[in-house]
Amino acid sequence: SKDSDHAVVVAVASRAVFEPGAGGGDGVYAEGVAFPLLQALQKVNERLLEENSAESLLFDIVLITTDSQQQQQSSQLISSTKHYGLEVSRFCFSTEEDFSESLLKNNVQLFLSTDRNEVSQTSQKGVLSALLDEYTASCPSEQLRVLLCGDAVIRPDTNPTPASRQAAQSFSARLGKMRQRFGMSDSPLSITLMTSCGGRDSCGGALQTLRSLGISADEAYCLAGAPQGPILSVLRPHFLLSDGFSGLED
Amino acid sequence: MVKMSLDPVQVMSGQVKELKVAPSSNGDSRGSWEEKEEFDQDHLGLTSKPIPVTGRRARKVEGGIFFPKPENAVTIAVSSRVLFRTEREQKVFEQKGVEEYLRYQIEHENEPFAPGPAFPFVKALEAVNSRLRELYPQSEELFDIVLVTYNHAHVGIRLINTINHHNLFIERFCMTGGSSPIGYLKAWHTNLYLSADADKVREALAEGIAAATMFMPEKLTEVSQSQLRVAFDGDAVLFSDESERIFKAHGLDKFFEHEKENEDTLLDHGPLKGFLEALGKLQKKFYAKGHRLDCPIRTFLVTARSAASSGIRALKTLRAWGLEIDEALFLAGAPKGPMLEKIRPHIYFDDQMFHVEGAAEMGTIAAHVPYGIAQKHNAKQNTGVRK
Repeated sequence: SKDSDHAVVVAVASRAVFEPGAGGGDGVYAEGVAFPLLQALQKVNERLLEENSAESLLFDIVLITTDSQQQQQSSQLISSTKHYGLEVSRFCFSTEEDFSESLLKNNVQLFLSTDRNEVSQTSQKGVLSALLDEYTASCPSEQLRVLLCGDAVIRPDTNPTPASRQAAQSFSARLGKMRQRFGMSDSPLSITLMTSCGGRDSCGGALQTLRSLGISADEAYCLAGAPQGPILSVLRPHFLLSDGFSGLED
Repeated sequence: MVKMSLDPVQVMSGQVKELKVAPSSNGDSRGSWEEKEEFDQDHLGLTSKPIPVTGRRARKVEGGIFFPKPENAVTIAVSSRVLFRTEREQKVFEQKGVEEYLRYQIEHENEPFAPGPAFPFVKALEAVNSRLRELYPQSEELFDIVLVTYNHAHVGIRLINTINHHNLFIERFCMTGGSSPIGYLKAWHTNLYLSADADKVREALAEGIAAATMFMPEKLTEVSQSQLRVAFDGDAVLFSDESERIFKAHGLDKFFEHEKENEDTLLDHGPLKGFLEALGKLQKKFYAKGHRLDCPIRTFLVTARSAASSGIRALKTLRAWGLEIDEALFLAGAPKGPMLEKIRPHIYFDDQMFHVEGAAEMGTIAAHVPYGIAQKHNAKQNTGVRK
């Protein structure tokens, strides 16, 4: 029961969900880096429905691919999805040229991929996008962990536009609303704020911004110039969203 | 009781400059004994929304590094419960649960917490940093204070407001929202972790991180605002607990015998040896610029060992490690409280709660290092009492 008005549409590149070309035996694909992420998204849905069986604010998961080989083996894609019990509502096959349009047409609020170029392109076309990497594979599958970056740019190749900032804020606001459905402990969704460069006031400002968007962060880290790597490896977020959370006035 | 100094240049004891006379804390959580002026509840000088900043905050002080790399700095991680006084909030948490606790915190967001047991220590660290920056403006070898708390980010704004109110220099923090802070301690290259939670402290010690549990003393004696003074117990703090084991198992005579026989064998290191080492490195930087007499860091060994006998092994070990300790006090079993009251350290580390409590009774801020044989012994004693 996913009301299209309230569902949060998340598109994931199928190449990230399944290992391209690798066989998982029985004509089924092997698990890719985004596997725990998908399981975590599903876990959130499960718990949301446990709280309220009529819940409409749910994740709507779409698998999207431009990979022509995977498109030819679309039945294998679909059967692999069934095999692993993944709840994918739609499969989207697109060409590279139409890719961003496909996303927009499908009302995708967040696009996740392991392909840096893909993420850069869709980002510039106004689709909120986040890059997945090998660390994503080691994230937990029982809790979705989202990192909101409060200042300066963690991924310097994405250029924040007012539209993408807006997309980040509205997606996060919906995430914040989902988070409110659960209590403080044992939540299947965890929202973390991190500021990298500024001192405590920039983190304080970001917390205020989040609050104004209706988002209560669970965790907050203010690095003030310390290297992010060691902290991120403990944090283990599934993905990061930047822009739109600083204390700066837009 | 003999007072000895390893330092050939005899520094006069009691040379504590600029003792500020502060109003005594009567346990009132609103009492801010560290501050000189009273604060008016209505005009706390806090804006409800922090001032937006663009990039780095402008520093009033000129020169010096303000965001050192964690591996270059001496990183001190403090939890919010020891940096500030949060007893009232703790009660809300214990009696009404986490949701009510967070609601309470947000409601009182613009009320700064009062200083806790680690507060004077942190202020003293900042005083040392100012001196270091004057002498070595390009160096990252400074104290770096990181707030590492179990708290949810909901408490973040209140903590930031409090730090602002007390004008503390803390720009780095981790609010783990209930997850274990231990991984973050490692990520920050933590040299010392101070917490109110003995379990977390034990976990940190098990990971090789110097750590101690802090308690709020009933009364607080004034401490120096310009010189950082750190006191250590010897066995099971700077040194391993090997000698203590002998004492506990076989008694005092056997202990003396063992120490005499092994006088020339170095003691093994204890959990706080590394921290003393880090302090020593910073001290040398002051000495190099001619500031031996007015060095803003001073270290003390306060041990039940006796100077004429068992203390020798301790001194030889320190010397072999290349560590200097400014004053070594061998109490030969005499109570530590009165001596600590004279020394006025910002923090005193001991592995035995008996000594920690004794020190606190006399107004010394003492921290418990839950390491070694003394912990098992205490546990055994407790079960005995219960029966």
